[in-house]
Amino acid sequence: MRQHDESDAAAEVDDVLKSAAEELRRPLRIDAALFDARVMDEVHRGAGGFRERMARLARPRTFRVSPLTALAATLVFAVAIGAGVLALRPSRARVPLSDVARAGAGSPLVQFGFVAPNASSVALVGDFNDWDPKATPLRAASTGGVWSVEVPIQPGRHLYAFVVDGTVWRPDPAAPQATGEDYGEPNSALTVVAERGSR
Amino acid sequence: MRHLSRALFALGCALGCALGCALGCAMLAPLALAAQDARLDSRLDAHTRDAVVALIDSARADGIPSEPLVQKALEGASKRADGARILNAVRMLDRELGDARAALGAASSDAEIIAGASALHAGIAPAALVRMRASRAHGSLTVALAVLSDLIARGVPGDTATTVISALTVAGAQDAELVKFQQGVERDIAQGATPSAALGVRAQGAFPAAAPRRTP
Repeated sequence: MRQHDESDAAAEVDDVLKSAAEELRRPLRIDAALFDARVMDEVHRGAGGFRERMARLARPRTFRVSPLTALAATLVFAVAIGAGVLALRPSRARVPLSDVARAGAGSPLVQFGFVAPNASSVALVGDFNDWDPKATPLRAASTGGVWSVEVPIQPGRHLYAFVVDGTVWRPDPAAPQATGEDYGEPNSALTVVAERGSR
Repeated sequence: MRHLSRALFALGCALGCALGCALGCAMLAPLALAAQDARLDSRLDAHTRDAVVALIDSARADGIPSEPLVQKALEGASKRADGARILNAVRMLDRELGDARAALGAASSDAEIIAGASALHAGIAPAALVRMRASRAHGSLTVALAVLSDLIARGVPGDTATTVISALTVAGAQDAELVKFQQGVERDIAQGATPSAALGVRAQGAFPAAAPRRTP
């Protein structure tokens, strides 16, 4: 009797398994219209959620901030702005004449000469060396009192002069004198042509 | 107690803002100094430097080359001119650069504008610069304008010099030829020719069509 009961239970299990297997083997049928409608419904529900989230963000709220936090936030803001401005600022590095001479490319070499037999020093000053008497000293030839120097100068029109013994300003007698003496000392004019690199 | 708390909060915010602004200004100040050029700091007194920097900033905003203004100020400093004189010279150059840019066109290069300002300084009228630009609409006018200024400095009348140099540029004279032309005129003047005669003879020799016409 007991054996009979056990075999019945096993048959029952087999039936359940068979029906489950049949159910799984059955091809899945999707109602396309119903499927689309469900997908669109989900999409709309999602969009509604997004709108709701946005509305929640736009809703005015009251925050509680301690003075210390406000101070710290302001400091962070100021540092960030300052750092941003410093990072974005254009470079205005000036190139000294010595660096121009080293870079050299594109700047024709111009020779300057001045006769001053009794001078102890002669310097070239102009709008190509910041009018600095220490920037471009001329070298004296062994005889004749001729001083000279070669300097790379960008093409264009330039003004220059010589400073003798550190104090006396002299224009170049071999060059055209520039019109106007804004500071009471005459300058010479120099035009450097790009193609040939000569005056 | 609640009022005190609110007052402290407001005070904290105000202090924070003030400190933030001060810090921002402190960080921006070196930036402004860097923009104004360190060369001016070491060679001009503070009052002159500030006035020159203001002119330079204004020139930059107007598209006018600013380096000639810096150089004009440095020239004055090297020549030990006083601040007022330096300012006057920089102001005058600023005006000439602006007039040159207006006459030659905003598309002109910095070198052209600088050469144009030199021509104006030499006494050329802005209208002459407009004519020069018309004579060479596409090529660079830098050398032509520089030669023009130098010829005027040698004593050639401005109108005659403008006519000849414009004609030479229209005739297609290259920059090197213009410089050679100028050197010829200078040589003739050095040998005793009048500036007008030297210009006429050299123009006739170089480009017959560019020579100034003689009135009977």
